[in-house]
Amino acid sequence: MDVATAESGAQILLATSSDSGNPPENMIDGRLDTFWASTGLYPQEFILSFTTLVNLKTIKVNSFQVKGLKIERSVQQEPTDFETLKDAELSPSDASLQTEEYKVDSSTAKHLRFIITSGYDHFFSVHRLSVEGSPVS
Amino acid sequence: MSMMHLLTHPIIVRDAAVGKSALTQVFHSDGSHFPKGYSMTIGQEICVKSVSLPETSDTVELFIYDSAGKEMFADYAAQFWDHPSAVMVVFDVNNEKSFHSCLKWFERVKNKSSQHIPAVLVGNKTDLMDRRIVTTESAKSFAQGNGMEYFECSAKSQENVEAPFKFLAETFRKMYYERLEVMKSLAA
Ligand SMILES: Nc1nc2c(ncn2[C@@H]2O[C@H](COP(=O)(O)OP(=O)(O)O)[C@@H](O)[C@H]2O)c(=O)[nH]1
Ligand SMILES: [Mg+2]
Repeated sequence: MDVATAESGAQILLATSSDSGNPPENMIDGRLDTFWASTGLYPQEFILSFTTLVNLKTIKVNSFQVKGLKIERSVQQEPTDFETLKDAELSPSDASLQTEEYKVDSSTAKHLRFIITSGYDHFFSVHRLSVEGSPVS
Repeated sequence: MSMMHLLTHPIIVRDAAVGKSALTQVFHSDGSHFPKGYSMTIGQEICVKSVSLPETSDTVELFIYDSAGKEMFADYAAQFWDHPSAVMVVFDVNNEKSFHSCLKWFERVKNKSSQHIPAVLVGNKTDLMDRRIVTTESAKSFAQGNGMEYFECSAKSQENVEAPFKFLAETFRKMYYERLEVMKSLAA
């Protein structure tokens, strides 16, 4: 199941850009037409938090103009002690969304930190996050 | 209208002593400070200034990178040069050589960016009227030919110092709204 939805209790704890018209919650509303937009400069980051520790399977990101993307995880109750899960360079997409899917089997996480280190434009957007996984029982 | 806080870091480039540091300081201090003593900019200096745009609820924060030019290729300054989001090229209207250097400076910055960046050309020291060499017309046509907006000012008499910074802030804001339209259209 997708554990990165606001419905399932997931939250965006922190995001470095804030345009109240395009808030970070738009990444976890399950929709592709709503998005979080960066408002200038790099790097940018945000933290996605689950209600409990989860076993991760795949992380999917729909974005636009993102180039360097780092994903880190924390298994602590508080968002600390992050370690790298993925360090990727995305390809540019002309007039469509970038769709990235990462298999991260056999990792657990309470929090995921996404760091956008560079982009193909002054601004980028993240439209939807999906994380396949299940609560650790 | 949404509340928004944009961040941009314009890079200012020029030959030495055209008055770029003075401009930055007058702008940053809202005109209360024209530097009296002369001190060459040696390394990197960053000054942050918020510009509220009238008739919007948006603020653009300028991280102005005061560059001495020399360090443009140094590693430690790479983070500023890799993604310049705007550029201001300054020359001294009483100094022809500083005007001729503008193209060189502008191209160096452009080469560092794969994207279009808002750019202004600024002729400073207009207060020294009897020493003026570069005409408004030639500076304007050079600016237009290179896709820059032209401004004239005097940091010393604090005339028109805000205008080029405000223009960059306004242009950056417009760019943001244009990009938002593209982002909105993607999932359609
Ligand atoms: N007359 C006049 N002198 C200026 C003006 N702006 C700066 N200066 C002087 O020009 C010299 C160099 O200025 P500075 O800001 O350090 O130049 P920079 O090397 O381009 O940063 C200093 O002596 C300033 O006092 C101006 O608008 N008019
Ligand atoms: Mg969305």
